[in-house]
Amino acid sequence: MIRFVTKRLSAMVIILVVLTAVVFLLQQASGINPVHAYLGANASQAAVAHETKVLGYDRPIFRQFLTYIGHAVQGNLGRSLRTRDAVATNIASYLPATAELALAGLGLALILGAALGLGSVGRWRGSGVLRIILLSGASVPGFLLALLGILLLNGKLHWLPATGDTGYNNAPTGPTGMMVVDTLLHGNLAMFWDAIVHLILPAICVSLGPAVSIGRVLRTSLESSMGSDFVRTARAKGLKEKTVLVRHALRNSLSAALSMTGLQVGLMFAGIVVIETIFAWPGIGLYVEQSIPSADFPAIAGVTLVLGVAYVVINAVVDVLQAVVDPRVAIA
Amino acid sequence: MTTLDVAGVVKPRRRLADSFPGYRKLVGLPNADKVGVGVLLLLVLVALLAPVIAPYPPIKLAGLPFRPPLQGGHLMGTDEVGYDIFSRVLYGMRTTLVGVVVVVSSGVIIGGLVGLVAGAVGGWVDTLLMRTTDLFLALPGPLLAIAFVAALGPSYDHILLAVAVVWWPFYARIMRGEIRSWRVRPHLDAARLAGTGPVRRAVRHLLPGAMPAILVTASLDVGNLIVTLAGLSFLGLGEPAPAPELGAMSARGLQYLLQEWWVPVMPGIAIFLLALFANLAGDAVGKIAGDHR
Repeated sequence: MIRFVTKRLSAMVIILVVLTAVVFLLQQASGINPVHAYLGANASQAAVAHETKVLGYDRPIFRQFLTYIGHAVQGNLGRSLRTRDAVATNIASYLPATAELALAGLGLALILGAALGLGSVGRWRGSGVLRIILLSGASVPGFLLALLGILLLNGKLHWLPATGDTGYNNAPTGPTGMMVVDTLLHGNLAMFWDAIVHLILPAICVSLGPAVSIGRVLRTSLESSMGSDFVRTARAKGLKEKTVLVRHALRNSLSAALSMTGLQVGLMFAGIVVIETIFAWPGIGLYVEQSIPSADFPAIAGVTLVLGVAYVVINAVVDVLQAVVDPRVAIA
Repeated sequence: MTTLDVAGVVKPRRRLADSFPGYRKLVGLPNADKVGVGVLLLLVLVALLAPVIAPYPPIKLAGLPFRPPLQGGHLMGTDEVGYDIFSRVLYGMRTTLVGVVVVVSSGVIIGGLVGLVAGAVGGWVDTLLMRTTDLFLALPGPLLAIAFVAALGPSYDHILLAVAVVWWPFYARIMRGEIRSWRVRPHLDAARLAGTGPVRRAVRHLLPGAMPAILVTASLDVGNLIVTLAGLSFLGLGEPAPAPELGAMSARGLQYLLQEWWVPVMPGIAIFLLALFANLAGDAVGKIAGDHR
């Protein structure tokens, strides 16, 4: 077990280095001179040359890469061309809202995924509908879902707000930066409810894609579990079909769904960028979307690095968790 | 159904349909799958014939702005400029399909080649290639694609390049697994004993066995890819306005959503339908190929 964990974690470190290398190379390929970015457009040539030397951008590319990794580890991600702030500062101010949306989306995805997987496996009335949801859910682009959701729930029914994470101008901004948590910590229930209402639609849109993937994997592995010997035994001893499904088959099918969840986080991050754009959600995705037209690559690189690291770490943790749940994984 | 020849031996009549592999299985499919395949073919045909079918060129004033669907001869209405949305959606579908073909075939070719070499050669080559593949698989592909296009500058070609770069590892993994499982079959020993060289063994004796699995993977991948490409286009990573790209059209129409809903929604629905029927047809291909997943 310890060997497996060490092996998985060292693989994680290698992957992180490669991720940083890819982002670094993209930064080189983007043709943006970081010194120009740092000094601004009006800097004299002498100043640029001097600063290039001071900042080490005249050194061999491998040395620059080492510096880049060093800076990244210390939380220095360069300077945004658009906002003129340190990218890390920008990200720090946008990240909590994204984390809030991602956590809500992931929670919903797990619940929905489990419901879709469990519901569509048997042959009961309504399971066909769930299968159709599984199929069309895999085909609907996140932004279409968001558009239709806004049209129906905001435009027609006026149930939910369409933009932002709060309707209050004086909403709390600390301590966590997550609106739902902050309003609760301040004990303002009206604002808390408002935050929840703002969160519902974006969270559903973010969660549907991953939920469908999780549901499909769960359904496939549930179906193979339901045909296995231990399920026959459980049925033979007279257990109800529901008990067999939930207590016996589900436990043995969770492993695949769990690793699918880890993989889906990557897709979800990409989906969040789109969803945040539509809902004007004040998160990292909105920051990326605003950085694209102004070719602010340091900003995009910073976000890619932060979300990429989160993705890689989450997947390493999922693998270790899987080994804990099912020790056979560690031996293979 | 049979004819008697001179010698009196009953000989099955060879029908045209039998010369198309998979035709019989296609006929035997459940109706839902037939509908899936049929509608997808229809959509592809309509998209390919966009210049013939579309009532207007994609970038040409066709009427007043913001005409609702079905009015004034505009099936899907007109957008904020006065372009005919139906015509633009047809051209957008064509762009999408071209993109899908490019990315899937590059995935099959690059990933397939890596997987074939790794599986057929084995040893340290296998280890090296598969470790590299796993490394790529461990990176968050869609995110890197965004960064990739942002670094190179927005354009549809760059979207395709970026997605192709992150797309091949799946195919490499599947190809390698298939090749490994075919390598131990007896016909490979027979080929070796017959003096067949390693390249010919790989291409003529291993590759054909692995192709069904790859094709099934590819066909199930298409729907996914349509949605992914649309998402990147939505973020403004594709061609600048007024190019008719489905994702970008939807994004640009976003601000008119509550008053002129058809401007952003119509292109989105086109993407949904393409992806839906691609997924249905993908399932059908899986059944024809005998579920090689």
